[in-house]
Amino acid sequence: MSERLFNAEQLALLTKVQSQLIPAENDMPAAGSVGCASIVHEFLREHEELYELVLRALDAIEKSTGDASFIQLTSEEQIEILRFVEKSAPEAFAELVRQTYNAYYTRPEIQAKLGIHGPPQPDGFEFPSFDVSRLDRVKARGKLWRDA
Amino acid sequence: MTKSDVLIVGSGAAGAAAAWSLSRNGLKVTCLEQGRWIEKSEYSHGQSDYELARQSEFHKDPNVRRWPEDYPINVSGTPIRPLMMNAVGGSTVHWSGHFPRMRPSDFRVRTLDGIADDWPLTYWDLEPFYELNDSMIGVSGLAGDPGNPPRGVRQTPPLGFDVACEAYFRGLDKLGWHWWPSDNALISEVFGHDRSACNGCGPCDIGCPTASMSSAHVTYWPMAMGNGVDLITHARVEEVTVDENGSARGVVFRDEAGVRREHTARVVIVAANGIGTPRLLLNSVSSQFPKGLANHSGLVGTHLMFHPVGFVTGVFDEPLDAQRGPLGGLMNCQEFYETDLSRGFVRGFELQLSRSVGPLTTANGGLSGVPVAWGAGHHRALGKIYRHAITITVMGEDLPEEINRVTIDPQLTDADGTPAPLVRYRLGANSKKMMPFAIARAQELCEAAGAVEVLVDPLVQDSGWHLMGTCRMGNDPERSVVNQWGCSHECRNLFVIDGSVFTTSGAVNPTSTIQAIALRCADWVSQNFQDLYA
Ligand SMILES: Cc1cc2nc3c(=O)[nH]c(=O)nc-3n(C[C@H](O)[C@H](O)[C@H](O)COP(=O)(O)OP(=O)(O)OC[C@H]3O[C@@H](n4cnc5c(N)ncnc54)[C@H](O)[C@@H]3O)c2cc1C
Repeated sequence: MSERLFNAEQLALLTKVQSQLIPAENDMPAAGSVGCASIVHEFLREHEELYELVLRALDAIEKSTGDASFIQLTSEEQIEILRFVEKSAPEAFAELVRQTYNAYYTRPEIQAKLGIHGPPQPDGFEFPSFDVSRLDRVKARGKLWRDA
Repeated sequence: MTKSDVLIVGSGAAGAAAAWSLSRNGLKVTCLEQGRWIEKSEYSHGQSDYELARQSEFHKDPNVRRWPEDYPINVSGTPIRPLMMNAVGGSTVHWSGHFPRMRPSDFRVRTLDGIADDWPLTYWDLEPFYELNDSMIGVSGLAGDPGNPPRGVRQTPPLGFDVACEAYFRGLDKLGWHWWPSDNALISEVFGHDRSACNGCGPCDIGCPTASMSSAHVTYWPMAMGNGVDLITHARVEEVTVDENGSARGVVFRDEAGVRREHTARVVIVAANGIGTPRLLLNSVSSQFPKGLANHSGLVGTHLMFHPVGFVTGVFDEPLDAQRGPLGGLMNCQEFYETDLSRGFVRGFELQLSRSVGPLTTANGGLSGVPVAWGAGHHRALGKIYRHAITITVMGEDLPEEINRVTIDPQLTDADGTPAPLVRYRLGANSKKMMPFAIARAQELCEAAGAVEVLVDPLVQDSGWHLMGTCRMGNDPERSVVNQWGCSHECRNLFVIDGSVFTTSGAVNPTSTIQAIALRCADWVSQNFQDLYA
């Protein structure tokens, strides 16, 4: 599997890109600051086709920066590059975004900030029972189906 | 080679119901299922990354999921992807359990509206089997809907409604439209064995860890196996074989080790769903049936129907938290169900209240089909929708057309080398007129409910949940594949009992009708068993 590992430079690039995809705003941290790069990295080790797509997106980003490295560009320049790659390599870029969202929104600390305090099970959610009188208007209309 | 009275291919909604019914009448039943049992421990609802299951192991599209037991489907010729699960319980393992019945008019489309064909049976023929099925599996809901014929007291009360639903009820009342709490194959109180009442956890579409969903593997299968049915998993049927008289002899299948085996039976029932069944029959070529088994009419695989589906999502200022609670249709609006020619199309549609999804699925575009934009403003954009949105599923009747069909792909095969299906489908002229009207009604409803923004996915690509019509039922052997009992016109001990037999589609989720048909056909097989193979 080792050939499917990102090297340190690629990981650093991924981290920086992710922080542009989901930047820090209001109370929410940037994706690059909460370990999303290593989550994506771990996940892709087991998913060859997706790994190839994300790698293609990262390559396209690196190649679009000319002599400079993406990391050294200003934030505006980085965004411009990402918009360019989004258009020139849409499938690969969409996968990069999806993997970033996947990593970010499955982090318990991010979920806590969104008001989610634990997974759906085992507690579930309680619902009030249905008030049948809500249907009086509909019942009053009488039969609505066609005989056949 | 082993011999059974009845051999069923497929352990999903239809196969399970039939296995139970036949076995309680004393027949020796074997079911071959290509998939396996899904263990409770495989469900991810107790983990923070549960939403990932939708993209991977519980993906509803077998082409994406790619389990060894899945077969690939060539979908290059269809805007709607066929979805299914290949496991014990079939596609009911990860369905939504919305369980409306078809209406009487759905079975008389030719007589009433001059299009398509009438079914060879009526709603009233099926009605006792709808009731029986509900009583066996457990349905939540409320009898008394003026939009539908009367039915017995539901096994458990309607699922709870919260502030999210209330918004829509207000809208519906403002517009004066019909609505009613839906029948759901999801128990709101304890019912059956080893099953808990639904605790509203939410993501029903990735399986139900509490067994509250009345799925075939937790309802009919324990009972059927208790009656002695032999359910063989990891058994992929390649072909239905015939004897020298052209009667079904049995099947050839691959077992778990990949070894080819034969299993013979007096009666063969195919319940492999609207894609798997025509695939199997078309792959069953013999000198007596050179175009595929039961395919003298050339109609096996034709008249595929899906139900065109749109998602219309209202975004509200106040948080509704609609991501909590069962995902399926809680409420059904059938104001536009019957034909009204002034609308410019025949037949109709329903609007189902389908609640919402968690933050990850929201970010990835689960509601509108378009992912939340990346970059500056991402959090604001997500926060506007997540917890604030609730989706209406717009589902229209799909009319049967011969050109919409399942054939055998000349190249694609499953892991065992058995040819895979090729699906060609295009939206019919009537659907093209109906869907914009239907979407506009859902938008109107969102606005009446107080939505500040409405997101629309006018034709959901991942919506081929309902697989119907590909071995249609009818009285005329030139225009149909099976008769009203699911019995092949050409082979009297061969039956088809799944959604393939639908003559028309109605505009409701099909599974209550599929199971009622399966029970009715199984009853008939039990009663006429001696005559079927003599
Ligand atoms: C995501 C999703 C949500 C849904 N929600 C709803 C809903 O809310 N309400 C509703 O009414 N319906 C819903 N449905 C549809 C419902 O699941 C189907 O209508 C129902 O399961 C069909 O029953 P069936 O027995 O015809 O086929 P299935 O349940 O699909 O079972 C067919 C079985 O046959 C097996 N099989 C196929 N070929 C072979 C072979 N060659 N050899 C051996 N075994 C084979 C398969 O592995 C499978 O287990 C949903 C479906 C999906 C995918």
